[in-house]
Amino acid sequence: MFRENLKYILPVVLPLIILALPASSFGIDGLTQVEHRVIAIFVMAALCWVLEPIPIYATSVLIIVFELLLISENGLWFATNDHPDLQGKLLAQSTIMATFASPIIMLFLGGFFLAMAASKYRLDINLARVLLRPFGHKPKYVMLGLMLITAVFSMFMSNTATTAMMLSILTPVLAFFGAKDLGKVAFTLSVPVAANIGGIATPIGTPPNAVALKYLVDQYSVSFAQWMVFGVPFVAVMLLIAWLLLVALFPPTITKIDLNIKGRFLKTPKALLVYITFIGTILLWLMGELHGMSSYVVAMIPVAVFSSFKIINKEDLRNISWDVLWLVSGGIALGVALDKSGLAANAIAAIPFANFHPLLLIVGASALCLLMANFMSNTATANLLLPLVAALGASMQSLLPYGGHVALVLAVTFSASLGMSLPVSTPPNALAYASGHIKNTQMLKVGVVIGIIGLLVTFAMVFLLNKMGIIGA
Amino acid sequence: MEKINIICVDDEREVLDAVMRDLDYFSDTFNIEECESAAECLDLLEELDAQQEYVAIIISDHVMPGKSGVELLSEIAVDERFLGTKKLLLTGLATQADTIQAINDARLDHFLEKVWDPQTLLQTVKELLTEYIVEQGIDYQAYIDKLDAPTLYRLIKP
Repeated sequence: MFRENLKYILPVVLPLIILALPASSFGIDGLTQVEHRVIAIFVMAALCWVLEPIPIYATSVLIIVFELLLISENGLWFATNDHPDLQGKLLAQSTIMATFASPIIMLFLGGFFLAMAASKYRLDINLARVLLRPFGHKPKYVMLGLMLITAVFSMFMSNTATTAMMLSILTPVLAFFGAKDLGKVAFTLSVPVAANIGGIATPIGTPPNAVALKYLVDQYSVSFAQWMVFGVPFVAVMLLIAWLLLVALFPPTITKIDLNIKGRFLKTPKALLVYITFIGTILLWLMGELHGMSSYVVAMIPVAVFSSFKIINKEDLRNISWDVLWLVSGGIALGVALDKSGLAANAIAAIPFANFHPLLLIVGASALCLLMANFMSNTATANLLLPLVAALGASMQSLLPYGGHVALVLAVTFSASLGMSLPVSTPPNALAYASGHIKNTQMLKVGVVIGIIGLLVTFAMVFLLNKMGIIGA
Repeated sequence: MEKINIICVDDEREVLDAVMRDLDYFSDTFNIEECESAAECLDLLEELDAQQEYVAIIISDHVMPGKSGVELLSEIAVDERFLGTKKLLLTGLATQADTIQAINDARLDHFLEKVWDPQTLLQTVKELLTEYIVEQGIDYQAYIDKLDAPTLYRLIKP
């Protein structure tokens, strides 16, 4: 009974204990009250995201509300009326509330509009039909096609929606497999694996990437096109490895399969507008240097077009995944609090990180991130780890020869998407597992191998990027 | 987890027992209620609504003393508190007029004939339950091992 309630007790009690401790007990010189409270909020967020007593997006809202109550200029009276020296730097309420509508959130909103319109006007399913055709009927190659298409779609749509769509294409075909045919396992696993990997390729592919964008600003900024320059090759390499692995582990015995997707491209004026806007937005994202618009500004164009032409109507608007947007907002708010309160800088100064080998930091942080992402939400993992890692990266001079801040942030971000060894690791995994065609152990085997190889490929990529001078000093 | 109910209505005890046996698969995650008349079902609905619990599916017989199954389901169909509730008629004795009324007024989601195949009943309830949970915006992940995967794939949208 007590153990069961621990997930409710710990997130309440531990932050309160932290608040009650004297400021001197944290080993940080001159810890202000605001910084002290930020530590408590951070611990609460960590416990809530790991133990999940409340939905993960609710944790994000809690972070923002507690920040407003405890560390904003307009918070509770007793939290704002002490001597400035003791109290430390309070944040403006607008800074905290603005995380709900930060440019990163707007970028994602634009992505959601594109995905919703594409799905509503059946662009996704029709593209899948056409793109699958060249892969013929041999199971091995059909699977490769399926994985490529899943990955490409998940670069622009949510990984979960892409997985659901591809699995629904796959379900009728799996009925033709023999009861003992391992190919069923390979096919069912190929979709979530490709979706999880595919999300890495673009800034809007998956929410952890959005969280990373918060720490890739100013001199460290990475544009949409730049992200794809390393994201797409990384995904291509990983897909190839995953495909070879699945074919080797679970070879299909069936000799021919026929994915029969019905339908044809819509040719109504609205549908054409959706196609044009979709392609146009992606082109504008890729050619940022030509027209000068940032990817955030570009993302607002489909929002305007689809709203004006009633392609996304009021009902669709209600169905937007606000939970995902809020989840990211909370992560951004946590980062803002750590940064603006001065806690990040003070804490880093207090701990002798300079003695650590920088490679140990990159490898250690990525491995920790991969481990956490296997057991909890990828976005929550990124929300927790990236602000800490980013603070470290920006302050560690010894990291520079290895690609610096950007290398560290990218390695950790990619690792967050590589956790896929359990049904609970990601929603795509849960959906595939629900089909009943795969066993826990089979998913575990594939997930662990891909996680470890993925980590190694990430390090190789960061090394190459640094050698080519794309990142780093 | 949310409290989600499945209600079975039949005046014959043996039939209720048989339905309960066939739906035992759901009993550890969902609450399965038995009612022996339409009136009892309506009372139960009031009670569940007062507790703000979800009523996912009503499985009803047609020919019963007092209010008939089709009358019961028609009444529920226009009650805005149970708009999304899935309605399944399980009967061997429905005339064509009853069936027409069941489709037009009760807005049936499914019609099963007595004697039913337990596997079919289980699969039907699974699909209806999946539809209900997704349509109501309940977090499906918590129930995913009891839901119908193909239905889930079809309903999840970006």
